[in-house]
Amino acid sequence: MEPILSRDELMAADNVLLLLRPSNPPLSPAQKASTEEKEPELEVFVAIHGDGRIIAMNGHVDLGTGIGTALAQIVAEELYVEAKDVQMILGDPDKTPNQGATIASATIQITAVPLRKAAATARHFLVERAAAHWQCSPGELTTDGGKVIHAEKQQAIRYGDLIGGQRIELMVDEHAALKPVDEYRIVGKSAVRKDIPAKATGQFEYVHDVRVPHMLHGRVVRPPYAGRDGGEFIGNSLLGIDKSSIAHIPGIITIEVIGDFIGIVAEREEQADRAARELKVDWKPSPDLPDINDLENAIRNNPTDKTRTLVDEGNVEQAVKDAHKRLTRTYVWPYQMHGSIGPSCAVADVKADKVKVWSGTQNPHILRADLAFLLNIDENMIDIVRHQAAGCYGRNCADDVCGDAVLLSRAVGFPVRVQLTREQEHAWEPKGAGQLMEVDGGIAEDGHPYAYDFKTSYPSNGAPNLALLLTGVVEAIPAALEMGDRTAIPPYQYDHMRIRVDDMAPMVRAAWLRGVSAMPNTFAHESYIDELAAEAGEDPVEYRLKYMKDERARELLENTAERANWQPKSGPWQPKVGTGTNSNIVKGRGVAYARYIHSKFPGFGAAWASWIADVEVNQDSGEVNVTRVTVGHDAGLMINPDGVKHQVHGNVIQSTSRALKEEVTFNETMVEDRDWGSYPILNFPELPEVDVMLAEKPEEPPMGAGESASVPSAAAIANAIYDATGVRMRQPPFTPERMRAALEDAGVRPKKIEKPKYKPGLKSWIGGLGATALGALAVASPWRAAIPEITPPSASVYSAATIARGAEVFAAGDCAVCHTSEGGIRNAGGRALETPFGTVFSTNLTPDPDTGIGRWSFTAFERAMREGISRDGKHLYPVFPYTAYQNMNDADMQALYAYLMSQPAVKQDNPQTELAFPYSFRPMMAGWNTLFKNNTRTYDDPTQTELWNRGAYLVNGAGHCGACHSPRNLLGAEKTGTAFLAGGDVDGWEAPALNGQSKSPLPWSEQDFYDYLRTGNSDTHGPSTGPMAAVVEEMQALPDSDIQAISHYLANLEGVSASQPAPQTTTLAESGTLNATDFNSAARTFESACAGCHETRPDWFGVNPNLATNSNVHSDRPDNLIRTILFGVQTPADPELGYMPGFANAMNDKQVANLVSHIRGRFAADKPVWHNLEAVVKQIRANPGSH
Amino acid sequence: MSANTSAASQAIVFNLNGSPTSVTADPSSPLLFALRNDCQLNSPKYGCGMGECGACSVLIDGKTARSCSIPLKAVKGRTVTTLEGLATQGQMHPVQQAFVDAQGAQCGYCLNGMIITTTAWIEHLTERPSEADIRNALKANLCRCGTHLEILDAVRLAVANKFPATDTTTSANTTTTAQTSTRSLEEKTPWNRF
Repeated sequence: MEPILSRDELMAADNVLLLLRPSNPPLSPAQKASTEEKEPELEVFVAIHGDGRIIAMNGHVDLGTGIGTALAQIVAEELYVEAKDVQMILGDPDKTPNQGATIASATIQITAVPLRKAAATARHFLVERAAAHWQCSPGELTTDGGKVIHAEKQQAIRYGDLIGGQRIELMVDEHAALKPVDEYRIVGKSAVRKDIPAKATGQFEYVHDVRVPHMLHGRVVRPPYAGRDGGEFIGNSLLGIDKSSIAHIPGIITIEVIGDFIGIVAEREEQADRAARELKVDWKPSPDLPDINDLENAIRNNPTDKTRTLVDEGNVEQAVKDAHKRLTRTYVWPYQMHGSIGPSCAVADVKADKVKVWSGTQNPHILRADLAFLLNIDENMIDIVRHQAAGCYGRNCADDVCGDAVLLSRAVGFPVRVQLTREQEHAWEPKGAGQLMEVDGGIAEDGHPYAYDFKTSYPSNGAPNLALLLTGVVEAIPAALEMGDRTAIPPYQYDHMRIRVDDMAPMVRAAWLRGVSAMPNTFAHESYIDELAAEAGEDPVEYRLKYMKDERARELLENTAERANWQPKSGPWQPKVGTGTNSNIVKGRGVAYARYIHSKFPGFGAAWASWIADVEVNQDSGEVNVTRVTVGHDAGLMINPDGVKHQVHGNVIQSTSRALKEEVTFNETMVEDRDWGSYPILNFPELPEVDVMLAEKPEEPPMGAGESASVPSAAAIANAIYDATGVRMRQPPFTPERMRAALEDAGVRPKKIEKPKYKPGLKSWIGGLGATALGALAVASPWRAAIPEITPPSASVYSAATIARGAEVFAAGDCAVCHTSEGGIRNAGGRALETPFGTVFSTNLTPDPDTGIGRWSFTAFERAMREGISRDGKHLYPVFPYTAYQNMNDADMQALYAYLMSQPAVKQDNPQTELAFPYSFRPMMAGWNTLFKNNTRTYDDPTQTELWNRGAYLVNGAGHCGACHSPRNLLGAEKTGTAFLAGGDVDGWEAPALNGQSKSPLPWSEQDFYDYLRTGNSDTHGPSTGPMAAVVEEMQALPDSDIQAISHYLANLEGVSASQPAPQTTTLAESGTLNATDFNSAARTFESACAGCHETRPDWFGVNPNLATNSNVHSDRPDNLIRTILFGVQTPADPELGYMPGFANAMNDKQVANLVSHIRGRFAADKPVWHNLEAVVKQIRANPGSH
Repeated sequence: MSANTSAASQAIVFNLNGSPTSVTADPSSPLLFALRNDCQLNSPKYGCGMGECGACSVLIDGKTARSCSIPLKAVKGRTVTTLEGLATQGQMHPVQQAFVDAQGAQCGYCLNGMIITTTAWIEHLTERPSEADIRNALKANLCRCGTHLEILDAVRLAVANKFPATDTTTSANTTTTAQTSTRSLEEKTPWNRF
């Protein structure tokens, strides 16, 4: 394929027809004050090459809507070619005209106009050239298929041939005659998106897929004031970084720090990713935010930069007093996210003389100016290569990440790809701004709309590029943006009306989001008119039609109501009777209409849209379900009707999601939501039925269709909720909590009964030392003698059979689990084991003479195993389970020694265990042994089966199950008797009870134990995690008969069968159902972050543990559940079981605690509530353990 | 899992889209990065890194897996298939074709996960699924553009390929009215599924 020439190259090329227009960039919504005046340059809109290629340019970009397809249709139509013959170039500053940012869904409506005129001008020129050639009048000629045709002569000339090798520069004729609409063959017909096959096969190159030679990988570390961009602390909060904290990660090229900007460049992506997560950084505390969770007052108290009065008709102040019925209302719109599915990404290559940036930007021209300022270089040195990214619906971090990438590339002198994390995109994307709409007004005596005094407050700005702020290149001074005025004028005739806009600086980083300010304003207009209709006792559709000023709007609303089979209703609202089996569920219908008016007031109207929404409200739980949406949409001439339909679908689903579920939460200093669990969006099972009615108006100019259908959504749903319940919702999202509260306030739902308060105090599991016990230890403290060193025996002295037996004993004892550090060399020790007495490091078990046990004789080995005395006479701590190993028989002990001594020697010094006093006083262990070390036991009980005896031997001997699964006393000794295998602690994990005290909802059968130990998973109890996963993995070397024996013994422990009831089928069947008050944000987090995998799916890799039967969920302690949620499952017993991600980076302590509490209440409702969860989460987060 | 994971590189050998492949990297690093960076594949996308959105989905031994949350070492000796490997002899897989035919993409970033998940799901189906089954199959796949209706059309087309309709009126089609059944709170049972 021929390369696409840049503007400069085209202006110097031959054999090309160029359609030019002076540069006329529109004002950007975030225009910088100091852009200097420039001579208008000529920009190319269409180029027709001598070889027949038709290239068309548009300064806007494809934000994932398929806009390129529609633009190609427009050009093709005017030039009488097929759409496939037109190559559209979008948003490339070197090639395409500067038409400002791709916002306001204005591409078709505004920027396509010159393109169409350019194509028409070109066609007229070509026809005239052909006419001159044939010496005929242009009127005798037609065009088709890229040729000018003389029908009479039966001759045709190709466009390219008419150019005749010259470069022809032609100014776009603003008055060129356009093709009559009734002759359209391409525009108005649905065209198939050209990009989908490549996207469906992985061939499409998004910006995320850009790979250039010598590219390195970057990640950034953002400051703790997530999502804020105003105030002196921005760019001034870094105290320092600890480079040594990532010294263990290979591949790190550099750490770049400028102000509060921190970036890491590494050879590989996973290295950069890990380094960014593990780098220790000290920050100053951030100043508090206003209480944004009380948004109404936060916005009300936010200083107004200026108040603009857009309309002031009549005397509204007097009129509100005179109104027959006065209604004073406040509407609040929440902060919401764009929520791009792909976190932003960019590649930059900064060289001394040229900078190239591969970007998903929405505003290539503005970005280039920002980057030039950031790097302090000339704008013309920067080449922006625009690629598609994930849809952004406004402004995401696409530009920010370009700033990150150029800084990191400059630092290393190589191309650097920077990928933001999900957490960063969520936290830092400029949010769709919250908004406050206050209305005072009312109706006249005859019920007509009499007064409307409307004030809207919009705290937003243009969200300056983060790199500019973090590096301090630009001061973070909050500036107001005049963008709250979209669709600020209601569509109804009021006798007295005043419309005011409070422009105010942002409270948090904010920018435009689909339906910017028009959607909140319309929420107020359309909720209010609905209230007026109700006050007037009139049907809400009829009432609107009566007072609507716009004829086209009226036609649309009438048709939509007819399509939805709207049944007029009048008179006061009557309570609905619940239908079906659940009388709490009531149904309702609501209507709303809006025309999206974009750009600064008075702005431009885009497409018209009206909604009729059907909802169901569960008055008990507060759940709101949008069951059906009927949308009427009038976009005038539709270039690509399918494209319009898809846009309408997208708007309906996204805006339903926003109205029902979406609200950014903040804590004292920052954005809290950092994943889809904390900021859930509508999923497939929640979709409404959607019926779209597109108005056929090909004679009318095309109108932007990208946002209009969103605008009436929230009001239509709120009005439907009113119809169902009689309750007015004036603040989205309409969550179950908010709905319940509103129903309670209205007396529809009884006030909820307060649950009993949590009991304070976390039960301390680290016991203090009893003074008496300490005294007892001090009595007997003999030192023990060292056993002389030996020359390491040769492996050949042992028979293969002995070594094989030793390998099984070794596996039964899962020695490697403790004696191998994470990712370290097998058996070489060094694993840190957290105990209540401090951290104990495991030793090197390989036969290395200096650092391992190479110089240990069998006698020394056996003494250590049976008595807990090291070769040198030092006492070992009982975290080493010699109290169990003493029960091993001699043959196994010898085989184990043989096996260990025949393994490869590994020289590895490990950290020395250093416990705090008094535990550091090892001779004290002698006293401990006197107190707690029992005598050796053998397992040959003639009253039991051979299987039982074998199981008992393995469990109590090499297997040392009690070391973890039996509780220990204050001095760390395993408890016995009824406490044997009654549950213990290991490395921060709870080792659950295996005896009658098991908290599992289903009893552990012999088969369950077998499944669990053999495969790492029991379908009725869950998979092994933490240290137990490693134990199961080690035990793979054991023969089946031994696993059966262990299972048999454990299933028949004394008291097990007696204490465990038969399966509580009723309890389990009910498990998972929720009480009305359980429909809360934690429930939504569970649905978004957990439910997808925790459901039986034969088509998914790995097991999908059932939480209703999971032992950890039913335990007395939340530790294992919390640990699993925080750190995931990265080392299952078998890869076949699958993996689980950790959520430590995405969820804070409170969010995890709420989720854990929800899971407990949902799946173990019969078990006591866990208390003080937030503190436990905090403690576990700080002590991740080594498994 | 501690923060102190291994960083020592190992060669992990597996079958990728029909060819034996070896990637030398930290075996505990995400499979996604190996596929994208070492194997130069575009289709698995980084979306959340936590298995919440599905954009990174691949097939491991024919089953859906979230490559962002699975370490490279997990695929040792296994078969990994991505969108690039679904096509055979230049022909798109029927599920891919269904998504193209139903125009099941806007920005298309989630498309990988939708196609991969649908492919494995349909492969494991033994009987014709209900509308609720179809929606549930994709419940853990997020789309932000709101392409859900076109995606559902695509899945219905793909289902119809596997279970040809006996009654022509039930065959999947893309029409202006989305053919989605009304979801009622009364019928809703997701809470009881676990």
